Amino acid sequence: MNTLRLVVGLLMTVVMLGLAGRRLLYLYRVGGAGQPVEPGRLGAVGTAIRAELVEVVAQRKLLRWTAPGLAHAAVFWGFCVLLLTVLEAFGSLFDPTFSLPVIGQFPVLGFVEDLFALLCILAVVAFVVIRVREAPRDQGRRSRFFGSHLGPAWFVLFMIFNVVWTLLLTRGAQINAQEVNTTDNLPFLRGAFLSQAIASLLAPLGQDVNEVIETVALLVGLGVLLGFTVFVTYSKHLHILLSLPNVALARRPSALGALLPVSSGGREVDFEDPGEEDLLGVGNVEEFTWKGLLDFGTCTECGRCQSQCPAWNTGKPLSPKLLIMGLRDHALAKAPYLLAAEQERDGLSDDARAVASVPLVGDTGYAGDPLAAYAPLGPGGVIDPDVLWSCTTCGACVEQCPVDIEHVDHIVDMRRYQVLMEGAFPDEAGAMLNNLEHAADPWGRGASQRLAWAEPLDFEVRVLGADGGDRIPDDVEWLFWVGCAGALDDQAQRTTRAVATLLHEAGVEFMVLGEAESCTGDPARRMGNEFLFQMLARQNVQTLDDAGATKIVVTCAHCFNTIANEYPQVGGSYEVVHHSMLLGRLLAEKRLVPVSRVDRDVTYHDPCYLGRHNRIFAPPRELLGAVPGLRLAEMPRAKERAFCCGAGGARMFMDETLGTRINENRAAEAIATGAQTIAAACPFCITMLSDGVSTLRPDDAPVEVTDIAEVLLRAVRPDLDDVSPPPQAARP
Amino acid sequence: MKVVVLAKYVPEPTATWAFEADHTLARESVEGRLSELDEYAVEQAVRLKEAGAADEVVVLTVGPAKAVDALRKALAMGADRAVHVSDEAIAGSDALGTSRVLAAAADKEGFDLVLTGMASTDAEMSVMPSMVAARLGLPQATFAGALSVEGGTATISRDLDTATTEVTVTLPAVISLTDQTDEARYPAFKAIMMAKKKPVETRSLADLGIAAGDVGLEAAGTSVLSIAPAPQRQAGTIITDEGDAATQLADFLAARGFLR
Repeated sequence: MNTLRLVVGLLMTVVMLGLAGRRLLYLYRVGGAGQPVEPGRLGAVGTAIRAELVEVVAQRKLLRWTAPGLAHAAVFWGFCVLLLTVLEAFGSLFDPTFSLPVIGQFPVLGFVEDLFALLCILAVVAFVVIRVREAPRDQGRRSRFFGSHLGPAWFVLFMIFNVVWTLLLTRGAQINAQEVNTTDNLPFLRGAFLSQAIASLLAPLGQDVNEVIETVALLVGLGVLLGFTVFVTYSKHLHILLSLPNVALARRPSALGALLPVSSGGREVDFEDPGEEDLLGVGNVEEFTWKGLLDFGTCTECGRCQSQCPAWNTGKPLSPKLLIMGLRDHALAKAPYLLAAEQERDGLSDDARAVASVPLVGDTGYAGDPLAAYAPLGPGGVIDPDVLWSCTTCGACVEQCPVDIEHVDHIVDMRRYQVLMEGAFPDEAGAMLNNLEHAADPWGRGASQRLAWAEPLDFEVRVLGADGGDRIPDDVEWLFWVGCAGALDDQAQRTTRAVATLLHEAGVEFMVLGEAESCTGDPARRMGNEFLFQMLARQNVQTLDDAGATKIVVTCAHCFNTIANEYPQVGGSYEVVHHSMLLGRLLAEKRLVPVSRVDRDVTYHDPCYLGRHNRIFAPPRELLGAVPGLRLAEMPRAKERAFCCGAGGARMFMDETLGTRINENRAAEAIATGAQTIAAACPFCITMLSDGVSTLRPDDAPVEVTDIAEVLLRAVRPDLDDVSPPPQAARP
Repeated sequence: MKVVVLAKYVPEPTATWAFEADHTLARESVEGRLSELDEYAVEQAVRLKEAGAADEVVVLTVGPAKAVDALRKALAMGADRAVHVSDEAIAGSDALGTSRVLAAAADKEGFDLVLTGMASTDAEMSVMPSMVAARLGLPQATFAGALSVEGGTATISRDLDTATTEVTVTLPAVISLTDQTDEARYPAFKAIMMAKKKPVETRSLADLGIAAGDVGLEAAGTSVLSIAPAPQRQAGTIITDEGDAATQLADFLAARGFLR
């Protein structure tokens, strides 16, 4: 019997590991078809190790969702511990009383192994409950599993269950079957409480029967485990293996904040003199970097991204999960073509050649069915343009992804190809790009309008160059970057005036650039027009450097993100703060003193580019907290999970014709808190939420949408309620 | 079919303009661009080519050296070639002088159809299409909101205050187009790079057989006497209804002659 189980066991192992290995080698070659990664991606060993500890070992992102997080952690840690039992099982093929060296029969090991076996079974039960309760059949699009492969997911749970019960049965039977003559040998006689319980159940069957049971259960268990391994390499469950490198190679702290410049062949593209062969963005799946392809292979279809996506939650066809799945399936379908030598490609099947010529972005004719907007085999396109252009780049998907997939980077890379190479994008955004190019602001108002906001103020705002000097004088501490909205949009002008008034009140010497300011380039960059972004960014960096700017305060979350995180890419490094931070400092230093109560219920909306993208969650809340009388009520979706207003990713300048409106979804959530004031900290959020509120409550009790600075101003200078026209009565 | 598009290099409309002592624009003081209204003409010409109705689109401008920027933009949008008439002697020309140069250049180039914007965004006179047509002795159809070309004729729809008329002209003809003809495309970066390799021919007055004395500031039939910025628009009046809003509204209209 012992010989038989050794032969069968080893044979299974060789065959199964061979199959899995062959598949992994193939996948490795597919990954190799991708572009080189950009400089700096590799080599941060310390960061990578820390990420493995935090994201993989400590399951940080998974545990943010308590129930599924704990269940996953139980299975993950369980399988880590059970790897020891696998070693023990392999050992027992050779020697039925094999035990791990040194540890031997140490009862604590037996206990821990059995404990995690039990936890794994409980976790499988939890997963079953979760999958039944959130079944797409009942929940439709609301289910995070909508569009995921459900069959394989159930199969995985079944296999985990099989691995664990065969293991326990083996260990139980082993106790009855094997003579233990030293304390170094297995089976465990103490500690392994489950195994021992099973052993006492099986004991009446006698030693011979137990020996058979042990051998059969061992071989079945190994078979299940090895079969599972092969299955994993062919399924969406590859994350077991791929999440390790994917987490190690992810952008840190996360792929939020700055976008990467356009790279081709691992080098940054010089837009002033691009190479003939340079790839501008991604037009074919093999033009993603190999790290991108690794992202696609790592996705395990858990749908956390989908559950948070503002586009998906408002009935649009974009789901970050379906996008990644579609790209993965397309990459695998195109793999035979990609791996074939050039001269062999004509010999491939018609199907293989047809898939190879499917454009990444093209009309799928999906007609409202979101699943049909992804067609990995074509013919029209792998993803529909509506998928690509629905993204607000809010980063909720990246924030959630437990395996650190960089959805937004991939979306922007595909947009780059569409805009730079094809000139294909929603028509209405063309006007914005033209305006940026010609007037340096998205609305085409022009530089001459950029100081109009300051006219109603009763103090002089210092403007660079107004006194003849072309550098910021020494007595000026802060350069106030007003931004296009802050200078040109009626409502944002109120914020600009409020911040200027508060700075003036606190005795802060500040200066503005006036006509010398241009759009930072954020909307151009996020819709894929890197060329225009580079032009605007370089021009602004030149202006800032010529002026000798060092400390910059910004009211717009997009300007803030761009200047602070992206201008270093074009050679501009400054100390950049958002006004919530600077005003907070002035409050702490008692240079601003709230003297009047603001008796209002207020809720705070986290702008994506301030919150998720830059982790500035506390300063705006602390600022509101410093206002006497103010009662702050949080929305259900706040901070890391805040729901986008709908304006990011240049969506501000595109028509929202699909599904319901994102801004109304968010405005409804804000109104539901009972707040009289919705405070935000970005002019685009304020515009979107104002529109949302006025649509939802045209005649109802007024709910105002305003910037946190205006709220503070009311407490600091109650006499100044009127530095600017009052909130429009018609827009509650 | 060969289409020539007349395009103008104009100062940025949103920028602040400065003028020389002779009331001509101080070109160095302000960035220039392809007149937005001419972009619609380039767009329609390129669409004719894409639809197979036109074989070649040539864009033609009269302007200073920098006007080549406007030509590059048109080439990036899809025009095949560009002709740049540039001559010191042309500086300061009025509409009569410019139309003389444009007509001569178009005539030398040869064409089946001339397209242009409904006006320039700087002078906003809207006379150029008619003047060029008159000088060439060709039919004209102006302010087209839509254009179709079939066989030897072109048909436009022309939006008037009370009606939309359809006008058909036999080719060759001169047609001016409005912003109602559909969005002008925003060229891809790739198209901008490719446009740098497209041919731009430069012509002088001598090439066109025009005497220097026939054009330019001296020969202009019109003269600019003074230039002043447009007055700021005054804020409107907001009437708050306290029971007498209708009366106030009626008084407001009556005071301005809208009610009697």
